[in-house]
Amino acid sequence: MSYQATNPLADEFELELDGPLTAYWLALLRVVTGWWFFHAGVTKLIEDGLAFGYGPAYLQQMTGTALGPIPVWMGNNLAFLIKPGVPLFETLIGLALIAGALTRLAALGGVVFMTLFWVGNAGFGHGLVNSDLMGLLLFGTMIVFGAGRYYGLDAVLEKLEFVKQRPKLRYILG
Amino acid sequence: MTDIIDKAAMALSGGLMLLGIVGLGVVEILAGAPYGAAPVTNDAGEIVATPMVDPVLRTGLVLAGLAVLGLYAAYRMMAPAEDRDIDRREMTAD
Repeated sequence: MSYQATNPLADEFELELDGPLTAYWLALLRVVTGWWFFHAGVTKLIEDGLAFGYGPAYLQQMTGTALGPIPVWMGNNLAFLIKPGVPLFETLIGLALIAGALTRLAALGGVVFMTLFWVGNAGFGHGLVNSDLMGLLLFGTMIVFGAGRYYGLDAVLEKLEFVKQRPKLRYILG
Repeated sequence: MTDIIDKAAMALSGGLMLLGIVGLGVVEILAGAPYGAAPVTNDAGEIVATPMVDPVLRTGLVLAGLAVLGLYAAYRMMAPAEDRDIDRREMTAD
């Protein structure tokens, strides 16, 4: 009778972070999630450049949401940051996830975006658990599992002496 | 032998899905508008530009990748993984 002391739940098809199937699937999810944001960002860059006017307008219509007056204030006062920021950060978050570099930091950015999409789209015609929430949870999953460590550049970055001497960097890598 | 099947299943399924989603997605962006899988319509609803890569092909590749994973899962049920790649410890009953 064998027993995996570090993870009693592990079996052939269960969650084993050292197992081949889990690593493969996390890497695949990370690249596809990254592609999702990269595509959203880069097509905005192609069509509108660094002047995505819909961004501030989107935030301005978020009255009466769970985020209170914050997004409306942002839309009214931070338009100069949001117009270039939305396409730029969507593209960068996507690239980072595809490459698996600074994965947790990038995924945190994705969580911020998806929070605004989930709350701001607000029709909830298909229920509260909709694809926006699922996208938000995907980015959360990337953070929890440190998905950049699987077939990603973070696995290389974390072995650098610079990172070893600054272990707190592992909170934004991985 | 088992290792080879594991790796082949993961490489083939992952390759098919990434080709359908990312690979042909890059082609679609480089080919110009529409940048996604949906055609561009004008205000009257007429199609004015169609995707270069048929979405039937792209979704088909992703489904094929998922099917490979399904076949691999069925194979694994027939031939369960050995303990070789799992860090197990022998526990003796007290």
